[in-house]
Amino acid sequence: MPSGALLFQSVLLGLLLGGLYALLASGLTLYFGIMRVVMIAHSAFLILAAYLAWYLHERAGIDPLLSMIVTVPLFFGAGVLLQRLLLTRLRPATLTMMSVLLTFAIALLIEGLLGYAFTGTQRRINLGYGSASIEVFGARIAVVKLIAFVLAVVALSALYLLMKRTRFGRALRATIQHRDAARLLGIDTDKVAGFGFGIGLATAAIGGTALSLDTTIYPSLHWHWIGPLMAIIVVGGLGSVPGAAIAALVLGMAQSLLQIPLGTTWAQTVFYVALFATLAIRPQGFFGGRLAQRF
Amino acid sequence: MPSASRVLKIGAVVLLAVAILAFPSIAPNPYILSAGVLVLNYAVLSTSWNFVGGFTGYISLGHGALAGLGAYGTGLLVAKGGLPPFLALFVGAGLVAALAVPIGFAALRVRGASFVIVSISLVLILLLVFQSWASVTGGSRGLVVPRPFDLTRPEHHRVFYYLFAALLAVALLAWWLIDRSRFGLGLKSIREDEDKAEALGTATFAYKLIVFVVSAGFTALAGGMYALWFGDLDPVFQFSILTGSYLVLMALLGGVRQLFGPVTGAIIVGVALEYFKVEYGDTPLHLVATGLLLALVVLFMPDGILPAIGDLWKRFDRTERSSIREVTAAELREQRLAEAKGATR
Repeated sequence: MPSGALLFQSVLLGLLLGGLYALLASGLTLYFGIMRVVMIAHSAFLILAAYLAWYLHERAGIDPLLSMIVTVPLFFGAGVLLQRLLLTRLRPATLTMMSVLLTFAIALLIEGLLGYAFTGTQRRINLGYGSASIEVFGARIAVVKLIAFVLAVVALSALYLLMKRTRFGRALRATIQHRDAARLLGIDTDKVAGFGFGIGLATAAIGGTALSLDTTIYPSLHWHWIGPLMAIIVVGGLGSVPGAAIAALVLGMAQSLLQIPLGTTWAQTVFYVALFATLAIRPQGFFGGRLAQRF
Repeated sequence: MPSASRVLKIGAVVLLAVAILAFPSIAPNPYILSAGVLVLNYAVLSTSWNFVGGFTGYISLGHGALAGLGAYGTGLLVAKGGLPPFLALFVGAGLVAALAVPIGFAALRVRGASFVIVSISLVLILLLVFQSWASVTGGSRGLVVPRPFDLTRPEHHRVFYYLFAALLAVALLAWWLIDRSRFGLGLKSIREDEDKAEALGTATFAYKLIVFVVSAGFTALAGGMYALWFGDLDPVFQFSILTGSYLVLMALLGGVRQLFGPVTGAIIVGVALEYFKVEYGDTPLHLVATGLLLALVVLFMPDGILPAIGDLWKRFDRTERSSIREVTAAELREQRLAEAKGATR
């Protein structure tokens, strides 16, 4: 039986990890809600943002957190363009399947170009506060992990406020719920969908920055992220942002706790076990509504 | 009197068969022959993929993992179980087909998106398991599969070339039979409109599951044959997400609705892959090339090359006009939308 301090430490780390998962999964959920698109390239953009943060730090000595000033607007624009120029070209009848392939192709492109530009060498940002940690009731928490969590929480709260309190958020939610009805009410659904994609990709920029703080990165790292993220959105119910957030916290915590008896590699399987169990028992996920029923 | 296009079609198929069978005799060296074996392996795999992808429209990115399972199943049964190689091949494929039942059950109960997610997860989880479970699978050190025949290297390639060709013929025959059957009609109705198919009484879930298991069985046979041919298995290559994407690319490029589409695509992409490997080595650029090609096919040629050639031929051949047009649900929808637009103006 592991000691109480170790358990407490794992719970805290699970919570911190879950926060990052929640932010990233909310982006994936947003895409799915808007266009029924499973965006495989989401985690590739995540790694791309981490690489940009690393590169700016390496070349110009800029703190990774400041790199968001560049990456967030850049990714927002890329998301809008991706939706407006590429995804809308696909035939509506086969959109879900073909968009998977298209975003998969984009993920391969990003991975290949990253490997070409920066080689496959593992990279890590050396920060002045990289090894600092604080003690919370006997558990040691690295400052960078805390920063990443705070970043995720701030971004998620901003997303929540944007969706619930602003005119644009209402238009976006209307577009997700019923596109045709939203258009009848005078919402420019194409534009809203494009912006929605931009916001989704912006979460990848923030997540990538958070990731770059305390993780060793390499071009093919995104495959380690897309699996857990897809499992999270299925467990949470495809298209449900709160569902994704809850599933992210639960599974992140489970992964962290299972690392004690099983080690890091086998603990990752918890996501896939949860994915298969969810699909076999409750295919619409645990928090998904009407939307998830049919996918 | 058969029409000109029918004669041409039969001629093309005969030409393809002759070219495939004659290849070992004209291959200048064992390396080219081994590349030929690899291309045929891809042809079998993408044809197997097309049982699911072509008939039902469900796109799986995880067939690489099923092939890897077949390879490891066969390899482990031979190396650790001591079974004769070709018995192990069929037992391995049977086991993978059995395993495909629960996988398909989870993946196919709901519509498209979850299926893709499960198929990708399958690759990722199997890579994790086969790398970590080193005591059984050999882990990253790999698994050596003893050779079934005591032959020189070129002879070994030649024998396996014909074995793969035979497997390809069986897979094509099975596809052709399903294509013409009532079962195939049900599957295609799922592809066109799953709701309507279900409403008309098609047992959509059972149909999808059966064809997924058939597809998994053929994929595992091809994987197991690869294990016996190549003799050395590494989880990184056997459970690579890239293999799955190659199969999709081949099938889409050739045309998923055509019997010979995946074979055509496999020849084009397989040859291109080998050429690329020789010219540029193992750089990340092959990822870029694969990604670009896949994106271009998805965006501009989702129906594949063979239909494009067929359309071109129809322009010149005015003798054949079928009374019933074959149109997809998507085309009909677009047509209706265009008409509706015209009516409101």
